[in-house]
Amino acid sequence: MLAQSELRDGKCGCPQGPFGLSAVRILLIEDEPASASYIAGRLEEIGWSVEIAADGAVGVSRAVHGEFDVLIVDRMLPAIDGLSLVRTLRAQNINTPALFLTAMGSVADRVEGLESGGDDYLLKPFSFEELRARLQILAKRRLPQDAPSTVLVAKDLKLDRLQRSVSRGERAIDLLPLEFKLLEFLLLHAGEVVTRSMLLQQVWGFKFDPQTNIVETHISRLRGKIDLGGAKPLITTVRGAGYLIAPA
Amino acid sequence: MLLRWQARAGVRLALVQTLIVVLAFGLAGYLVQISLRQISQASIRTHVAGEVASLDDEFEQKGAHHLPYTVAKRSRLWRGFEYRLISANGALLAGKLPGSPALGWSRLSSDGPGGGRRHYLTYTKLMPDGARLTVGQDLAVEAGEMAAIDRSLVMCGVLGVMFCVGASYLFARGTWRRIAAVVATAQAVAQGRLTVRVDGHPGPPRDDIDELSSAFNEMLDRIGLLMAQVRQVSTDIAHDLRTPLTRFNQKLERLRSAAGVDPAMLRAIGGLEDDVSEILRTFDALLQLSEIEAADRGAQNKIADLAEVAARVGEAYRPDIEDSGRSLIIDVRPALVNGDGDLLAQGLANLLENALRHTHKGAQVQLTVNALPEGAELCVQDDGPGIAPEQRQRALRPFVRLEPSRSSGGSGLGLAIVAAVAARHAARLSLEDAAPGLRIGLCFPAVASGQTPEKLALIS
Repeated sequence: MLAQSELRDGKCGCPQGPFGLSAVRILLIEDEPASASYIAGRLEEIGWSVEIAADGAVGVSRAVHGEFDVLIVDRMLPAIDGLSLVRTLRAQNINTPALFLTAMGSVADRVEGLESGGDDYLLKPFSFEELRARLQILAKRRLPQDAPSTVLVAKDLKLDRLQRSVSRGERAIDLLPLEFKLLEFLLLHAGEVVTRSMLLQQVWGFKFDPQTNIVETHISRLRGKIDLGGAKPLITTVRGAGYLIAPA
Repeated sequence: MLLRWQARAGVRLALVQTLIVVLAFGLAGYLVQISLRQISQASIRTHVAGEVASLDDEFEQKGAHHLPYTVAKRSRLWRGFEYRLISANGALLAGKLPGSPALGWSRLSSDGPGGGRRHYLTYTKLMPDGARLTVGQDLAVEAGEMAAIDRSLVMCGVLGVMFCVGASYLFARGTWRRIAAVVATAQAVAQGRLTVRVDGHPGPPRDDIDELSSAFNEMLDRIGLLMAQVRQVSTDIAHDLRTPLTRFNQKLERLRSAAGVDPAMLRAIGGLEDDVSEILRTFDALLQLSEIEAADRGAQNKIADLAEVAARVGEAYRPDIEDSGRSLIIDVRPALVNGDGDLLAQGLANLLENALRHTHKGAQVQLTVNALPEGAELCVQDDGPGIAPEQRQRALRPFVRLEPSRSSGGSGLGLAIVAAVAARHAARLSLEDAAPGLRIGLCFPAVASGQTPEKLALIS
């Protein structure tokens, strides 16, 4: 519980702004003032800079002229709707990552959103932590990427992707294939919040939201194995968002 | 489904037409034969009567004593007649006809010289001197003629029937094709492809089938419009409910930050958050259901391995099932089906959640996949309380929860989603008594030919 309340106000172990960037610059294109000011307020609390555009036309001109790390685009906007907005930007070769915020949640809507050039899709209502986790991943895309190493390390936990072995300190840990995949995914995103729906999609290949919280049970089994013998817990739960393994 | 050819209306009509034509030809032929026979008999009578009159004239001119010579001569020269002349005291004077027929017309039969019976039509006249003169004609000639006529009649009949069948085939073939097009369209619609239309004749209808096609297309347009309206309504509801829910969630998050560490406040906020997520779960399930039902199934040419899906979903649920004090047995064999792996996973997840929710602690859940000759079967079986037979159909309907208290959680949409996934894959969904417990089976049709595992490997 302590870990959770620490995380809530953005004081988690990760640096302010992802990985060396002093602050993430966000363009929020949202016509509803209440939502816009809430999102902007929460993002500014964690030290990011946010600019708000209240309709699609303003959004396009700001995105063309400004320097942003991520765009947050509402799908239903006055003047130019969200899909056309992103298409217009992509046609002008502006490839700033874009996250759609929308109330339209069918698979067809998602596919349409991603095909128009959007990079992620978040369904309303969402928790702030989920939004933040996704924005962080999008912002990180702008940085040059190293090829992921074959041995992933977090504190004293080591996962060898080639030998498919896991150890904590001197102790070898025996994991089921699915548990290995889950831990591997968390370690590949060490320092980032990994949300429930990311895990469902990437680890289990589920494109739907199950009514049962199966992720939580798997994580708790995984914790049981890697934290065996009273070792310090490695995986932290981020309330309303997902899970996090702190890097080294 | 294809009808046997005998069951097609056009074929039946053609068969009935053929039968009527055959009967009509038969009757006409019979009548023609009767009248021809009458004409032919009348002409034989005329000839025989003429011959009798000619011999009568000989008798008048040359006298009674000369008649036997004339008869013998005519018999020898053979003019197409046979004779018999018997004197008043019964002696045979000339001729070869057998028997002694009564006066006037009669029929005679005799064994001919080469064997075989011969039939004659004869006329017997009493001459003025008391002698009896019989003149007859062999009917074999006539019989031969009649047989030739019968042959021609049969030939005409056969040609007529062939002509009728050919003409009705040529005429009906177009009609059959157009009806088949309507049937194919209806079947495509039944499989969920609402965009197909019957290829009709442009402009005003030429006949009743054009009328049928255009009425059918109008009906489909109307259905499409209604479906689009329903979808629009659910999108609108989605939007109009999600926006205030977003604000609600944001306010809750603010409250949570403001609440600090006050445990009563945090509990209350937690309760509200659970309520919102329950509303959203039901909402998502409802949208999933309408999406699965509305999707165009025309583009379904993917192949999925039911065993892979079952193992993946089963293992995903194993910790939840085991931690809840139940057990899970997964027994799957490779079985390919035509379908969408994501949807199959979604359907199976609902089946497992259903088993998890409606069984007692300690229950055993079995998940099996088997390849059958007629397709593939996925089955989830538990040893829980089961569902009474009369309730099973009802359990598949949206928002139906069988326990009256509606207390066991869940949206009441799980099995409806399973039914929608089954319908979309043309799979047969069955709910059976597992004695004790419930056995839910999904029987998928065999993979369409031309799609082999090698091709699957290429796709993936």
